[in-house]
Amino acid sequence: MSSRQPGLTRPRRPRPSPFAAAGLVGLAAVTVLAGADWEYGIGFSLVEIWDGLTRANAPMRGLADIDLGTLLGSRARSGFLETLQMAVVGTVTGATAALPLALLNSRLGAPNRAGYVAVKLFNNIIRAVPDLLWALLFVAAVGVGVLPGILALFFFSLGVVTKLTSDTIDGIDHGPVEAARAGGASHPQMLRYAVLPQVLPAYTAFSMYCFELNLRASAVLGFVGAGGIGAVIDFYRGQGQWDRVWGVVAGFLVVVIIVERISALVRRRLL
Amino acid sequence: MTGAQQTRRAADERLRRAVRPEKPFNWFRLVVTVAVVAGFLLATSTVDAHWGRLPEAPAQLWNILGLMIGELALADLPDALASMWESVAIAWLGTMIAAVLSFPLAFLAARNIAGPGTVVVTRQLLNIPRAIPEIIFAVALIPIFGLGPLAGTVAIGLSSTGTIGKLSAEIIEGCERGPIEAADAAGASKPQRVRWAVIPQVMPEIVAFWLYRFEINIRASAVLGVVGAGGIGTMLQQSIEFRQWGQAGMALIVVIVVTIVIDAASGAIRRRIIRGPSS
Repeated sequence: MSSRQPGLTRPRRPRPSPFAAAGLVGLAAVTVLAGADWEYGIGFSLVEIWDGLTRANAPMRGLADIDLGTLLGSRARSGFLETLQMAVVGTVTGATAALPLALLNSRLGAPNRAGYVAVKLFNNIIRAVPDLLWALLFVAAVGVGVLPGILALFFFSLGVVTKLTSDTIDGIDHGPVEAARAGGASHPQMLRYAVLPQVLPAYTAFSMYCFELNLRASAVLGFVGAGGIGAVIDFYRGQGQWDRVWGVVAGFLVVVIIVERISALVRRRLL
Repeated sequence: MTGAQQTRRAADERLRRAVRPEKPFNWFRLVVTVAVVAGFLLATSTVDAHWGRLPEAPAQLWNILGLMIGELALADLPDALASMWESVAIAWLGTMIAAVLSFPLAFLAARNIAGPGTVVVTRQLLNIPRAIPEIIFAVALIPIFGLGPLAGTVAIGLSSTGTIGKLSAEIIEGCERGPIEAADAAGASKPQRVRWAVIPQVMPEIVAFWLYRFEINIRASAVLGVVGAGGIGTMLQQSIEFRQWGQAGMALIVVIVVTIVIDAASGAIRRRIIRGPSS
């Protein structure tokens, strides 16, 4: 009956490596510590989530009779316009400043080791500050309005585009670099003629990607007083008009998806 | 005239007559440049920003940074660390929720696993949470779960489901055909094929992406407290609003240091997962 041939044994399953075993135990421990209902846990409970979502509540009732007419109101229109303006100005300025910074942030472009380390540290700090936190800081510095929003998006874009572009610079083909050096190019000339042409398409694509991020971010900057469509959402939320909140969010969704499509088309053409 | 001079003269002559090839004209680049510059000028000139306040921004920011460092008190550190841990917990559990929700959806959104109809529907479903920021989910969930970390956790979980699902679907679509064909040839059913031919191939990359998303989610959960959804954001927002710069500075330093440390650790684990144990 048995089809097993004599002398043929099934190979033993490899034991999980100590790395994997320790990792899994560690992750499980973190999860339990984070989720448990104690002083340093958040008290995660599926029952509570289920109860909350199935109980009648204002946001969901608002979602059921969503008011798309809100989008035609002047408040929503000016909010959308402001969001677009903020995203454009923030991205263009941030991405422009990011290009020289990205050169300095790469091993190839940095003039010396000390400069490289300093720029890298600076960039890591900038990137570790979330967009909304920049907005909080600038609202405190220059008051509420669109200006702190633009400044927040500037620093956010600076961090993202610098990081992505400098990673690309570290991975470029070194042939042109050697050719430029052999031809007697100075360091700036080498960057201009051997490095820039290689990274420009990727840099443009990253900037467009960053524009999408900024568009999404600018929807929340308004929650801390930094202008844009977020201020409109926060206003309707404060009034408890969830039908209007969802109307604005739906409009925002459409804008983001359209921009994403256009940007994806252009990026595909670039790369 | 020596031969060398002659050769040189001839070379000079050829160089003089040589025509530099014209630079190829790139319409695409022109259109993009014009669109960006025009859009930028239009937006800058029409936006209702008080540009007059811009020159004072660097000085103000410098002033605030000075106050933050000057008033820094170690007494704030335990509070800041506890709140940051809450943010990390929110990000971690939110990522786990998203991983669990997105895993089956990713297979339904992969063209080489599911039928074309299912793929289109699932992809649209995944697109919606991808476009909505976490904060908006959070403000909608606060009336449901009350102020606190649970609203933030669910918000992070829902909004990451879109991105993780889409990326996982792309990883699944990129897997090799060989093992699938082998499983087919051995008579595997559809679930068996996914279990034995697809999952072993894609799992390392998908898990690495979960970790990457966790890094992003820490940044998101650090600010969720601004709307009251738990974590260190509440401390940041209140200390900045009431101008307790020492406390704000401590919270800011904790956010930056913890984010950078977790990025580094998680990045190392991701590289190890992708490359495997040997290298």
